[in-house]
Amino acid sequence: MTLESYLDFQSVVKEHHSSKEERRAFGIQHADLKTRPLEQILSWFDAHKKSVKKPLVGKIITSALYKISLILGLVAFFLGLFSGIGLLSYSGKEPVNVLYFMAMVIILPLLSMLLSLIAMLRVKHSSEVLVHLSPAFWMEQILSVLLKKRGKKVQEMVIDPLLANWVVIKRSQLLALLFSFGLLLALVATVVTKDIAFSWSTTLHIDAKTFYDFLYAVALPWRDLFSSGVPSLELIEQSHYFRLGNSLDKTMIQHPALLGEWWKFLALATIFYALFLRLLLFMTAFLGLRVALKQAILSLEEAKILLEEMNEPIITSHAIEPEAGLSTAEGKYEKTVLTLVPSYDAVYGWYISQEQLLLLCESVGVRASHCIEAGALMPLAKEGEIQDKSKVEVLCFVRAWEPPTMEIVDFLTELSCRADKVIVVPVGTLENQYRATPKELDVWDRKLTVLNHDKIWLKR
Amino acid sequence: MMLSHPRFAVVGHPNKGKSSIVSALCLDDTVQISDTPGTTINTRSFPLRVDGKVLYELFDTPGFQRPTKVLAWLQQYRVSADKKHEVIQAFIDEHRHDAIFHDEIELLEPIMEGAGIVYVVDGSKPYSQEYEAEMEILRYTGQPSMALINPIDISDYTQEWKRALEQYFKIVRVFNPMTAHFEEHMALLESIAQLKQEWTAPMKHSIALFKAHQEHLFEQTATAIARLVHEALSSVERVPLRGKEASKAEKEELEQRYKNRLRALEMAAQKKVEHIWSHDHLQKEQQLLTFEGMDLFSQETASVFGLTRNELLVAAATSGASVGAGIDLLFVGHTLLLGAAIGAIGGAASAFLGFNELSEIKVLGQTLGRRSIEMGPMVNKNFPYILLGRALYHANTVIGYSHAMRSKVDMVMDSSFKSKWLLDEMKKSLEKFHTLFRAKEVVQGDVLEQYAALIQTILKRLTDA
Repeated sequence: MTLESYLDFQSVVKEHHSSKEERRAFGIQHADLKTRPLEQILSWFDAHKKSVKKPLVGKIITSALYKISLILGLVAFFLGLFSGIGLLSYSGKEPVNVLYFMAMVIILPLLSMLLSLIAMLRVKHSSEVLVHLSPAFWMEQILSVLLKKRGKKVQEMVIDPLLANWVVIKRSQLLALLFSFGLLLALVATVVTKDIAFSWSTTLHIDAKTFYDFLYAVALPWRDLFSSGVPSLELIEQSHYFRLGNSLDKTMIQHPALLGEWWKFLALATIFYALFLRLLLFMTAFLGLRVALKQAILSLEEAKILLEEMNEPIITSHAIEPEAGLSTAEGKYEKTVLTLVPSYDAVYGWYISQEQLLLLCESVGVRASHCIEAGALMPLAKEGEIQDKSKVEVLCFVRAWEPPTMEIVDFLTELSCRADKVIVVPVGTLENQYRATPKELDVWDRKLTVLNHDKIWLKR
Repeated sequence: MMLSHPRFAVVGHPNKGKSSIVSALCLDDTVQISDTPGTTINTRSFPLRVDGKVLYELFDTPGFQRPTKVLAWLQQYRVSADKKHEVIQAFIDEHRHDAIFHDEIELLEPIMEGAGIVYVVDGSKPYSQEYEAEMEILRYTGQPSMALINPIDISDYTQEWKRALEQYFKIVRVFNPMTAHFEEHMALLESIAQLKQEWTAPMKHSIALFKAHQEHLFEQTATAIARLVHEALSSVERVPLRGKEASKAEKEELEQRYKNRLRALEMAAQKKVEHIWSHDHLQKEQQLLTFEGMDLFSQETASVFGLTRNELLVAAATSGASVGAGIDLLFVGHTLLLGAAIGAIGGAASAFLGFNELSEIKVLGQTLGRRSIEMGPMVNKNFPYILLGRALYHANTVIGYSHAMRSKVDMVMDSSFKSKWLLDEMKKSLEKFHTLFRAKEVVQGDVLEQYAALIQTILKRLTDA
């Protein structure tokens, strides 16, 4: 998992328009990866990256980043090298004060490492001031300016802020490491090529014993392994330099070889404090970046969708074919009667018993020479017979709540052939005092509108 | 042609809610439902597919139009019970292209191809002998069958229907597709599974899948709501300045844009939730997220959705106290609980000061010669509760809303809803997340997941209630 694959994944997942079904099919094919989301994503990415037009964004960004890192890395290295040479420059008149070099290889690295540690602990804060102070941060800024010319795709690429912070932290450690290498190389080169007399000098009232104790503590990591890497009290006493003397101490001149012994301590201090500890921090940053990369890719919205689509079964329960549209009649049925006359030639009741029919006639104040039950269990032949009895004006009671089926439509059509006027009277339930609701009446209204028969009327 | 998966034809008299039942069971809000008989003119298949594999299939069929005539045709042939299905097949073969029996052929065909029968009646209307012809025809098919009493209206004739139906069907259930919850859907599927022994296992598998799917939908909904609250709280709107100082018009423009952004976020989240629950065609009667007079919302709205000033003070104080208590713990109590006390005071003070404030308008420094004003992130302490309350109400309504419903859904809630979702023990946890979202920090995926899990718990409690 690299920064390049993180960036490329984003562009592939955006540009490769795979359907839900295709993604699910991939998930089923790689079912063994279901519990390992990162591997599943990377496996999908590997399978699909070829389908996206090259060069991929990740390559563009990381190669630009590499170039800038290389330049800055070289700058850091040479800066370290020349700083080292400068700090160790010895004219032969005055000994080299080890305190400058110690500050550069112990104090400065410890201080910057402390800041780096704070930055690592507060990495979640996107506006982390310590991160922004880092030279690597400004490297990223230069990068974004350089990438402006590389097209919209590159410019639109969004890097997770947490990941960006880790990138900055890791590269800062790398630059610091190269700077320290430069310092070490300067020390080694100077020691090899020159005969340097080291001393220590300070305005503060520090005696040799106190300074020895301090150095003894500083040399803790290596003093048991390399005892010669710890300056002795004798060396410290002899190499204490006071500028006001304007000349070297006689004892110093008498033991020139002893003064050079300081280089071992300086070299080990550089290796431990400036290089080893920095290397540890670099490795921590490296691990932090790896974790951040994993988190960043998994927290991408596209990755979440991809994982969900690969792992969740596609459940559909809707119809595949579109529904055939049905044209229903609009508007009101024109052939309506509002009141009934007292007498009709015949009264029919569709699936209404004779007993109920008589009750209905009484309740609406209607008389008829024939009250006939239609539909129900009546044989069809008999139904036909009934229709023959139809005269001029007939009433047909129907149960309003039952929708008008084609069976009743057939009956009404037949009836209308034998009568001059057929009035359909929808009646409600007993609970509703036989009154049809407006909604029920509307249903009959629409049905009769579709039927549009000259002789069929609706009682509203 | 006999197929391996279970198939069920939903049949019955016209306008008895067959399509509503299919729509509810299939979570499909596109099925045409109307009170005009004959809306369904062709049989439609609704297969439950899991990764392309059909687990079972439901058929929405047209209603019986001429059952008496069909039965009369069938009864011409005096055959033994084991041959009756052949008579039905003969009827289909003879009338396949006969427009008069189009609907009967449409509904009988899937049954003769092996579909079980789900016969639907309206339990709110009286029983009538008219239905006996239909039931008799279905008996001719010899297929396993059950009856569903759908109480469309408020009148109750269920008992008389049960007495009649039990003579024809071995299983009779009452099911209202308009009000039935998920558990009732599953119970119905379990009843359907009893129709034939071979169907029990695949139906049980389908039920298990449905349940897992339902859990997943809850998870997706909670994530959508969690993201909404997070995005709304951390949202920042910026407007470039024309002059050196921000004019009143520029400030108003910024405020308007900021509010619109929050409204757009809410609308987008609602759409997403509706999509998750397959309610893409939902019509809503709803008020927009208002900010007038606020308190972000009118005092009235804040009291409906959000916390009152006192409730907010308590929540913020508790949250602050818990942070302070952590410090006390570090010092093994030597601080004499001063940390908790300071935390509580700090939390309460920030809540008090931030009750009415929406967000500060900040003038940003010069960047490449351009100045701008910025609004956000949201500082109002009550806002997340209002937004969360609205989102939960919306989601709860959508989850409980039947796919068979075609009317506009009323999204106007009352103050009782707040007491349903916001329990005292949750306020502290919620406040902790809201404080985190307000800070200009990168919120990690796991934090959002924890927040979503909390929302999911609330949502499940609401739907179970």
